Order: sequence, then C-alpha cells, then structure tokens
Amino acid sequence: MFDFTELTHSVAEGEVSKAGDLTRRALDSGIAAKEVLDKGLLPAMEIVGNSFEKGEIYLPELLMAGDAMKASLELLRPELATKGAAYAGRYAIGTVQGDLHDIGKNIVILMLEGNGWEVTDLGIDVAPEQFCDVVKSGDFDILGLSALLTFTMPKMADTISALKEAGLRSKIKVMVGGAPVTPAFAQQIGADAYARDAVEAVAIAKSLL
Amino acid sequence: MKKLSNLERMLTAIRREEPDAIPTFEIDIDERVIEAIKPGASYEDFCEYMDLDAVCYHETRTDQYQVIDKAKGIVRDQWGAIKQYSPVSMSVPVTLEPAIKSKEDLESYVGPDPDLPARFKRLEEAVKRFKGRKAIIATVRPFATVKDSLRAQNELFKDMIRDPDMVDRLNQIVSDYYRRYIKNLIDVGVDIIMETADWAFTHGPMVSPKYTERFIIPVFREIVEYCHSRGVPCLKHTDGNIWEIFDMIVATGVDGVHPIDPLAGMDLGEAKAKYGDKVCLLGNVDCGNLLSWGTKEEVREAVKDCIRKAGKGGGYICMSSNSIHGAVSPENYAEMVRAIREYGRYPLSLD
Repeated sequence: MFDFTELTHSVAEGEVSKAGDLTRRALDSGIAAKEVLDKGLLPAMEIVGNSFEKGEIYLPELLMAGDAMKASLELLRPELATKGAAYAGRYAIGTVQGDLHDIGKNIVILMLEGNGWEVTDLGIDVAPEQFCDVVKSGDFDILGLSALLTFTMPKMADTISALKEAGLRSKIKVMVGGAPVTPAFAQQIGADAYARDAVEAVAIAKSLL
Repeated sequence: MKKLSNLERMLTAIRREEPDAIPTFEIDIDERVIEAIKPGASYEDFCEYMDLDAVCYHETRTDQYQVIDKAKGIVRDQWGAIKQYSPVSMSVPVTLEPAIKSKEDLESYVGPDPDLPARFKRLEEAVKRFKGRKAIIATVRPFATVKDSLRAQNELFKDMIRDPDMVDRLNQIVSDYYRRYIKNLIDVGVDIIMETADWAFTHGPMVSPKYTERFIIPVFREIVEYCHSRGVPCLKHTDGNIWEIFDMIVATGVDGVHPIDPLAGMDLGEAKAKYGDKVCLLGNVDCGNLLSWGTKEEVREAVKDCIRKAGKGGGYICMSSNSIHGAVSPENYAEMVRAIREYGRYPLSLD
C-alpha cells in the first residue's frame, strides 16, 4: 500500500529527490497518475499555500516545495496528458507591456500548477494585442496580468480595453496583481479580480470559475 | 530657532533631534520629472532649485556597465550579470543571466575593483559643490548584488536551504568589495551612507527572520559598524512589510529606516511609536499611486498626515515611499515639496 502522506510531506518540505523517488514508486506500483496528483501533490500544495499565507514559511521554502512538486509532476505528466486528465482550469498569464519583471508572475504560476491548473506562460513585456491573440486562439478560463512598475500599470487598463474592442472581454475573466496594484485600481480598470499574492491568486482563480 | 543649513537639518533629524524644519530629499529622481519642473537642469542643479536637503548618489550611477545591445537595453553589469532595462524605466533592470550559475563559476570568480577612480568622479564633484551645505549621500546595496547580480534571486533563496555555504561565500565577495568601496566613499567626503537593497515584499520579509538574521544582517551590520567608526550615519532602505524584521534592523544600530512602505501596509504612526526613540524614520508619502495618479490636494493631505504621525520631536525626514520615478506627476512632486516646507516648520502647526 502506497503512503501518500509521505509523498505529500516530501513535497511540502521541498525534498526534491525524495518526492521524485516516491512518485516513481507510486507509478511503478500501478497507481494512476491522476490519483498521485490528487492524493499526493494537491494536498502538499494546499499545506504549502496555507503556511505561506500564514507567514509560517517564506519564499525559499515555497520555492523548494515548488521544485519538489515539479519533479513529481514531470513524472506524472506523460500519463496525465495521454489520459486527458481534467485540470482545475486553464490560465494564461503574462507581465504587461514595458515591464520585464517575472518573479511574482512565476510564483503565481508555480502555485497555480501545484493546484492543478494548466498554465500558459506568455512571458514578459506582453502587448495588449498579444494578450488578445492568445485569448482569441485558446480556450482559457482566466487571463492574469502582472506588473511591478507603477509605470506599466496603465497597460493593464489598455489590455482590458483591447479585449473589449476585440469583442473578447466576455470570453474570459481577467485577474490583475503586482506590487503597485491595488483592489481599487483593479476595480477602476474593470478587471474581474485582484490578488494580493500567489496563494490568494489560486483561491480567487477557483472562485471565478 | 535659527535657520539651519540643509546638512545640519539632515544630521539633526538623523540624530532624532528637532531641526528647524523637517528635511526632504529623494534616493532617486527620474530625469523626466526634473525636465518637467526645471527644463535643462542637471540633477545637482535641480536639487539646488528645489532646495532639497541632500544630494543622493544611487550606486547604479557610479557602477560600470558594458553595453551589449543598446537598442534592447541589455548590459553586462560590473559583477558580470547580464541585465535588461525596461524601455519605459531605466531604474529597475531585470537580471537575464547572473554572474554565478554554478559552484564552478564561484571558484573562478573575480569581482570588480572597488578602487576604480571613475566610480568617485561624480561624487568628488558633488563634494566640491555641496560639502558642508547639503548632505551628500551615497547608496550601497550588498544583498541586492548577491540576489540580482551574482546569483539569480530564486536560486539564491533555494541556496539558503540547500547550500548555505554558497550563500556565505557570495556574502564574503560582496562584504570584501563594500568594505573597501565604503571606505573610499567616506574618504572622498560622503556624509551619509544609505543601504538600499530590498529585504521585503509587500506581504512580508523575502526570507524568514531566521534567514534574514543568518544571511542578510551580518554584512549590513558590518557596514553600520564601519560607518559609525568613521563618524558617518548609516540609513537603511527596504520596500515592503518589515514588521517581522524591524527589531533586528534596529538592533544593528542603524540610524534611520526608509520608507515605511505604505503600499505594504506599514503605518508610520505605529513605526514612530515603536521605534521613534531608536531610529530616524524616512519616507512614507506613497509614490506608487498617490504621487502618480493623485490630486495635489490629496498629496498635501498625505504630507500633513505623515508629519502629524512622525514629525513630533524630530527624527523624521519626509520624502516619497521609494523614489521619484518616471510615472510620478511632476506637479505632485513639486506640491509634495511645497507642502513639506509649509507644514514641516518647527514648532509644527498643521491645522
């Protein structure tokens, strides 16, 4: 009988090689990848998310847990892909035009993936029309816009305007975040939601579905 | 009270005594704001024109860069990292590739020369022009150098758990450099050293208080102690919510803390009540939203609010919550300085 608790613990503690070994052992013993994800990884990221939110762990611990989660997820991915396992949702995310910062965005991606989302990373310095192209061509539930610079915050508004002009606004929910962004700004520019940090982003993304 | 020089005003506030008026300066002022307020002025001319109490030389102004791709804003910094500047902001580059990607890189690493005369040229000119009148401040940023030049940020954070020895060795590289560099700055005639590496995010410290104490504080404490041994005050800047590490910052003996970040939920009144008897407080006028998008009236009210919370008895320098970056409205910045001059005169009379 495979001990999912041990896998959960190893991911939450950021034990990268142990998480990989246990995942391999689970798959070798015939457990479905989806079950490993549901019973081993998702509880781990819930623990990590809660601990981060409460200030019990910090970025180093979160990143190590993310590495352990990725090591495990890499082994599960082939089977998940062939069996078409359901994701929590589909999320496209990018840093807005003029802004090259991606650390915050990447932490959001890490937490979303760890919570079962399929995430498409659009990178940095993404123009409003590029966001529109992605929304048009893909079947995404949520679009995330990130900015670190006060300077680039208006590009969030420009992106939402571009989505409206392209007739795409009703097709997708828009979330915004980043150090200078506030809930009031999010409301002012017509975003669907603002998230303070990566953990809150996961909870809000779920609530928007 | 007799009118003090800008320098005296700064030093009095830093000693947590009451000067003639609350001082003001900025760590950095974007040239677009300077151009809008005083067309054609150099940074130094602008500081004179606005009667700012200090001229501040951000370390990036004295660093050496090798341009790799001018059109894309890509440079190699003096530590060997490849960085890119945003097309809309020249102040916050991102690291494309750090100098040290592996232990092997570390073994063969040679750092920059802290004695390079070119680093001190502009400061020497500032000393000639301002010494004894305005406070001359130079910034240094050892932790940011480790985090953004020597190593990629996330790898550094993971190193704290998986390879603490690596972090110690990186810290030794910057400690050796900055010990010498700061000695040179003070020899040239700098009045105040300001350490400007961010240690916190909006929600709290970047790393746990335990790791802050273990990996970040020691190099900083060395700097504070060295400055004090030379009779020079040392200020600390960090964005973010620092409540959890405020005690340990103060315990280093640092003279002032900036900017008590309002966007991270830091309350200036609370900081004054808790630490006003130990350190000078600086900043807190929101440059993220208020100075960028607010009205002049809102700016005046914010200045009054800051002075009300932290001005009593001295020990407060009123300034923005980071810098006067390119998105700040020039009118709002000018209004902020006017309001500080109007409401910041001791004895305070705000209403």
